[in-house]
Amino acid sequence: MREYLKNTWLGIWTVLVGMKITFKHLFIPAVTIQYPDVKVPLPERVRNRLYVNMDDCIGCDQCARACPVNCITIETVKGLPTDDLGITSNGKKKALWVTKFDIDFAKCCYCQLCVFPCPTECIYMTDIYEFSEFKRNDLHYNFSTLSTDEGEEKKLNWEKFQAEKEAQKAAAAKQKAEKPAPEKKESTDKSKSAGE
Amino acid sequence: MFEFLSDLFGSQIIAAFISAALPLVFIVPFVIFAVWLERKVSAHMQDRLGPMRVGWHGWLQTIADFFKLLQKEDIVASDTDKKFFNVAPYIVFAGTYLVFAALPFSSAYIGTSLDIGLFYIIAVSGLVVIGILMAGWASNNKYSLYGAMRSAAQIVSYEIPTAIVILSIVMFTGTLSLSEISDNQTAYFWNWYIFGGPDWGLTKFLVLPFMIIGFLILYISTLAEVNRTPFDMPEAESELVAGYHTEYSGIKFSMFFLAEYGNMFAVSAIVSVIFFGGYQSPIGYLGDALAANWLIPFEQLFWFAAKGIFFVFVQMWLRWTLPRVRVDQLMTLCWKYLIPYSIVNLIIIGIITLI
Amino acid sequence: MNIYDIIFYLFAAITLVSGFFVVSTKNIVHAGFYLLFTLFGVAGLYVLLGADFIAIVQLLVYVGGILILLLFGVMLTNKITSVDLRSGTSYIIPAVIGVGILWGALTAVLFKTSWRSKAPSGMDPTTSEIGRLLITDYVLVFELLGILLLVALIGAASIARRDKE
Repeated sequence: MREYLKNTWLGIWTVLVGMKITFKHLFIPAVTIQYPDVKVPLPERVRNRLYVNMDDCIGCDQCARACPVNCITIETVKGLPTDDLGITSNGKKKALWVTKFDIDFAKCCYCQLCVFPCPTECIYMTDIYEFSEFKRNDLHYNFSTLSTDEGEEKKLNWEKFQAEKEAQKAAAAKQKAEKPAPEKKESTDKSKSAGE
Repeated sequence: MFEFLSDLFGSQIIAAFISAALPLVFIVPFVIFAVWLERKVSAHMQDRLGPMRVGWHGWLQTIADFFKLLQKEDIVASDTDKKFFNVAPYIVFAGTYLVFAALPFSSAYIGTSLDIGLFYIIAVSGLVVIGILMAGWASNNKYSLYGAMRSAAQIVSYEIPTAIVILSIVMFTGTLSLSEISDNQTAYFWNWYIFGGPDWGLTKFLVLPFMIIGFLILYISTLAEVNRTPFDMPEAESELVAGYHTEYSGIKFSMFFLAEYGNMFAVSAIVSVIFFGGYQSPIGYLGDALAANWLIPFEQLFWFAAKGIFFVFVQMWLRWTLPRVRVDQLMTLCWKYLIPYSIVNLIIIGIITLI
Repeated sequence: MNIYDIIFYLFAAITLVSGFFVVSTKNIVHAGFYLLFTLFGVAGLYVLLGADFIAIVQLLVYVGGILILLLFGVMLTNKITSVDLRSGTSYIIPAVIGVGILWGALTAVLFKTSWRSKAPSGMDPTTSEIGRLLITDYVLVFELLGILLLVALIGAASIARRDKE
């Protein structure tokens, strides 16, 4: 009988204690962050979407080689000796036209391994993490500042230059075989005008 | 109200239909509000926010959900017992609605002012059990059947302490009429039956502790009757998917929902009528002070709704406080604790009434 | 034809139609569910007769108690739900005789009784009158029924009791 009454009392009492706790929580400010309006501050060195500063890129392909999932595709064309490609922010002279610099974020694993080898620190992680798309192809980002046509043009230029050089070399070799002649300077002038 | 309407329309039939449809005007907005309240209360008790997007603090969320439910495809599985499967949600809702017919919303509106209102309410709530059994069986799903069986066992068991407590109140008050019980507790809150009723004297103080015990028993057993946590065995999500309404979708599911929340209000209203003065104001009426008699019924409606919603809130509070009990604990609580206590309570209140 | 007539015919139709389904259906659970409507219709008829207390007792005892226990028993009993009830005609001659006698007796009662018919008046509360009669005129029957129920209760408890072995 005593046990029975004790049980009853314990039942009522514990329920009241529980109710007190939940009632207190009713007035504790919620921990919820209303996401699209309010965002959690990101920690330093957070790894999110990559960005490539093409002004600094020298097209060295080191990032693409470092990538464990091969999500970076880089194609370069050598600049003509007469082209002015500008210099990077740390003073290096650029020598390659980067005709294609694509990163497929559907593949990217955000490991940051591509960031470290970059000699000019032009590829880095930003704090943008909301870039979901409806189509997978939309996650294919093109960073190259040159359009496809321009890229083609650069390629053609280089091929032409190369061909001319070859031709010159062949001609020079031929001439050497016959007799030395000062033809070389004229042809470089020609290619320069074509490059511009 | 019925006389007024029949005078207004000149026809008893139209007046009867309108008078019968009036509780619906209360139930639907109440359910919409209660679902929102449930979500907000549960969220804040768990330090969350709950719905925040649709309207101010999400108050339009349930309306949006309601329209979503209306538009949903009404799926009927191929092996169900179609006839009973389709009719069951409406029977469950009818059971709830019948209870509302006898609730005294205010002194001006009571669906039917029955002399045996309390008895009637106990009787018609049995219809809900049949509807639940029908839904569970017709779904042809083992979880549904489990839920229905548990629900029936639970409701039938917990009807006993409810009935005994109500019987002790009937002995004390000498009436079964809900409006008469409400009118007995008029004026101020110390006239409520939980504080021993309107008569001053030795009886009032003798009966007070037993009234509180009676209130606790009634509240616990009605909580079990409407299948709320901690007694939500029939629809235990973690065990039975959704119990007896697993197979339902769309409008039929919303019928179950409407019935569940309507029932919550109905039992809260019964508790408030029996122990907390029903539609009577605890602090006197503004209409009396301003000498505006037409104001009083509206105030009474306000107090009735406020008390009902407060007890619904306590139900939610308990839901987010206590975990679900096991089936054997459920039965132990009913048969070994509530029923003996309520019988002892009945005897003591009977003796006090006699002296 | 006033509103009460319409309601009467409605309840009578519910009772008769569902009663027909109860006896004609081959599924025992269906029969149970149809019985709900029959009992409900009868309760409605009681209300129209001015017997509100009896109507509610009808609902409480039959719908809320017996019917639920019946369905509960049927559902708990293994395999009974799949049994087809036989509702075809088997013993036609004894059945005709039995039904004929019952029909004759009912019609005899119907015509022999002097029905007290009075115009429908307002509903008087019957509860207190029933209570008074139970304690005065019918107290013996009342007490005997109480003892019977108590015996049944104790019997049920002793059957359900688990032996300590």
